[in-house]
Amino acid sequence: MAAVFTPRYDLARFGAEVLRGSPRQADLLIVAGTVFKKIAPVILRLYEQMAEPKWVISMGSCCNSGGMYDVYSVVQGLNQIIPVDVHVTGCPPRPEALEHALTILQKKIISEEKPARPVLHLRGGTQGTTHPILVDGETKSRDTRGPGMEGIPIRGTSVTPPLFWDSRSDLMWTPPPHRIELKEQDKSLSQCLKERFGDAIRQTPQTSDMLTFHMDENRSKEILRFLKTEATPKFLRLDDLTAIDESARRDQRPLPCYDGTVANEIGGNRRSIRHDKGIYPDYTLVYHLLSFDPPGRLRLKVGLTGKDPVTQTITDIWPSVSWYERETYEMFGIRFEGHPDLRRLILPHDWEGYPLRKSYPGRATEMAPYTHASAIKHQPLDAGAFVKQREGDREFLVLNMGPQHVGTHGVMRFVVALDGERIADINLDIGYHHRGVEKIGERQSWHQFIPYTDRVDYMGGVANNLSYLNSVETLAGIKVPERAQSIRVMLSEFFRINNHLVWFGTCCHDVGAMTPTFYTFRERERLMDIVELITGGRLHPSWFRIGGVAMDLPEGWKEAVDAFVKVLRERIRDYEALITKNPIFKARTRGVGILSLKDAMEWGVTGPNLRACGLEWDVRKKFPYSGYENFKFDVPTATGGDCYARYLVRVEEIRQSLRIIEQAANQMPAGRVVTDDYRYAVPDKKDTLKDIESLIHHFINVTRGPKIPKGEAYAATEISRGEQGYYVVSDGLNMAYRMRIRAPGFANVQVMPLMAKDGLLSDLLAIIGSIDYILPDIDR
Amino acid sequence: MESTPSLHSLSPWEPGILALGVFALMSLVLIIAFLFLASWLGEKKPNPEKLRPYECGIIPTGTARFPYPVAFYLIAVFFLIFDVEAAYIFSWAIAFDRLGWSGWLQISFFIVILLVSLFYIWKKGGLEWGPTARKSPVSPETSSLPSSMN
Repeated sequence: MAAVFTPRYDLARFGAEVLRGSPRQADLLIVAGTVFKKIAPVILRLYEQMAEPKWVISMGSCCNSGGMYDVYSVVQGLNQIIPVDVHVTGCPPRPEALEHALTILQKKIISEEKPARPVLHLRGGTQGTTHPILVDGETKSRDTRGPGMEGIPIRGTSVTPPLFWDSRSDLMWTPPPHRIELKEQDKSLSQCLKERFGDAIRQTPQTSDMLTFHMDENRSKEILRFLKTEATPKFLRLDDLTAIDESARRDQRPLPCYDGTVANEIGGNRRSIRHDKGIYPDYTLVYHLLSFDPPGRLRLKVGLTGKDPVTQTITDIWPSVSWYERETYEMFGIRFEGHPDLRRLILPHDWEGYPLRKSYPGRATEMAPYTHASAIKHQPLDAGAFVKQREGDREFLVLNMGPQHVGTHGVMRFVVALDGERIADINLDIGYHHRGVEKIGERQSWHQFIPYTDRVDYMGGVANNLSYLNSVETLAGIKVPERAQSIRVMLSEFFRINNHLVWFGTCCHDVGAMTPTFYTFRERERLMDIVELITGGRLHPSWFRIGGVAMDLPEGWKEAVDAFVKVLRERIRDYEALITKNPIFKARTRGVGILSLKDAMEWGVTGPNLRACGLEWDVRKKFPYSGYENFKFDVPTATGGDCYARYLVRVEEIRQSLRIIEQAANQMPAGRVVTDDYRYAVPDKKDTLKDIESLIHHFINVTRGPKIPKGEAYAATEISRGEQGYYVVSDGLNMAYRMRIRAPGFANVQVMPLMAKDGLLSDLLAIIGSIDYILPDIDR
Repeated sequence: MESTPSLHSLSPWEPGILALGVFALMSLVLIIAFLFLASWLGEKKPNPEKLRPYECGIIPTGTARFPYPVAFYLIAVFFLIFDVEAAYIFSWAIAFDRLGWSGWLQISFFIVILLVSLFYIWKKGGLEWGPTARKSPVSPETSSLPSSMN
């Protein structure tokens, strides 16, 4: 979408280039990307506010039909809400496809519509599409089985919990999950906790990734407070909080670690059976903690019982947990007593049900259709509910910035209360881009889920694949060949540069500099060419596989990479000459949006935003993965924590990424590109033609998918925006039991009110540009 | 300079009721033509949504008619003062040769008074905009690691 306006594609040649900030001045609405139930009322309003004549292009498969997101939060086709003139296919469509759509629309207007005739009161002629919107059951069918196939189960439901039949994965054998030896530091911490809390905390006998404990619910808050303030090392950051609905586990033996746990009575309707030797929990809360010095991770689990369990909030220990608790509340129905603002965060405020419960339908096609009437009925919550409207005798102007705003970089809503131009109060409304990807992870096989990861941080491309695969490989103990590791590193760094180039253009654009976008997108297109050469895809290649990558590097990759590194090195100098010392840019960014290091660490801010506060913290250095320990690179930092510092860090990161790419390209090891452990990987096609073992594994792994041993693992990687972690839980099936994504944007954005409050409204734009978030990464 | 000889009744140099009448009639016809064309050609598809203020697709909260902070008013008043100043200076400038030194002295006095008032406004903080106490880029707390980390 953005690329069509930039040099190579240059939409201006087709007579359409001016983007309008208001529907009043527009005659074409391009709906690009997935249409969510939360954003649908907004799209409808935009369309209705446009003056006649007006046309609509639906861009991308998700927008056309819901695409691969047949999930509770997604509208299955834009034409259920508003009429559509042209549909553009592809996920995402190439820039040429959008240009093609535009010419098709122009031809359609010329040959079929004659829109001037009704204006001149002549007979005939129409404006915009005359096709009525589609009605489910009458003019369209959402049944994925197709007409006449109602007798068969919907594909996938026969193996999806909780209604699955006997899974054939049970007949497959795998080695036990990977097991790690604990470090001295972990052992001493474990000893310390045991002495202090006794039976209230029990270490799991084995773990695949980090020290893990089960905690007694009554004392969990005390333990967490101890870990943050007194333990050695101090666990300053709460990386993630989530829950698991345990109701669909196949092995529901009571866990001895919850022996003596007093079940929470407030929820009522206790379903769990008390057992002599412990309790089987209905839900498990999972806390992931992180210590900075020395780097360490820790997992704590709390069993909760009851239909709608209640537990204590820990917002007074970590303020950053506020959003995590709200998310857990709305997804699982677990209430947190004492939470200052426990209401829905991601889903619309009038949503019913808790989507990540196993009993909740995952697919939109299993639910009632979302229609034009629904879009009128389910309006977003009034802004007055987010901010205070007066203070003393001063009345504030309450303003919605977003969700449909050019400055918010996607569908996100900032509700600001303005005292003049000063932001007196600010609150964020997210979830307009919630794709339910965690729910999807519970029904797609371990392999099928890879394409969904690409779309989580859609500027991150295959770097997302790596985050996910890193966790799966940690759990199953899969060894990735060296060549595959190097290829993964090289491509991930390409996508870091891709992100930073787009960021450079848009961040400068946000503070008024139009030019850089046109330069950075020029280089980005060269980069996309290389990605296309190697993977065949542009934004979402989905090119990494369990145990390696999809195929070997093609001929001519080295020359292309070398040429690009050389060119970009020079071009960064040009970009910097334009911006770094630019007095206007400095005036707009220096001292604006300051975040203190202490806040950044406690609120879970990661990536360049954390490094701009002065902390040298990079997962690639602190918890090396995929062979990053073999590469020489610096971790750029800056001081001040303002918008300008964040700018400096990112620019330097482009240079460091180039260094890594150069080393990876020059020292590319020879050998396989996918593991020969065919139990998990999709075997090489050549091998399947030679031996029956490989053929069988190929058949199994591309159909129902490999089985991953029962267990859990959390691993994080440093993607362009910060630490993206996947917490995968396997019940020993061909799909995940729980797929949790710890997204960097979620934590980075949560602190924005701290930076923006009491600043100017125009500073908010600079902060948005410098934080560099992306919506599907926040909302998932 | 001689004025161009012209038909007396329609001459622009000789004001008369006929010329005014023709001018008024032409204006009226033009206005009616424009209004008619606009209403005849214009699309009429009324919709309550089209009358609603656009606020990023959300139904706006509260009213836009409420007591504004005084800063906006101050800026408007300052603009007015210095705008009037420009009007006087221009009118002096086109006739400065005929007004002579006394005119120059008078306009200089006028400008000096306005300059003094500008500096007065400046000093009083009337031109300050937005939150004045911007946080400094590097404060001692943010530049070093917090002690709780170690």
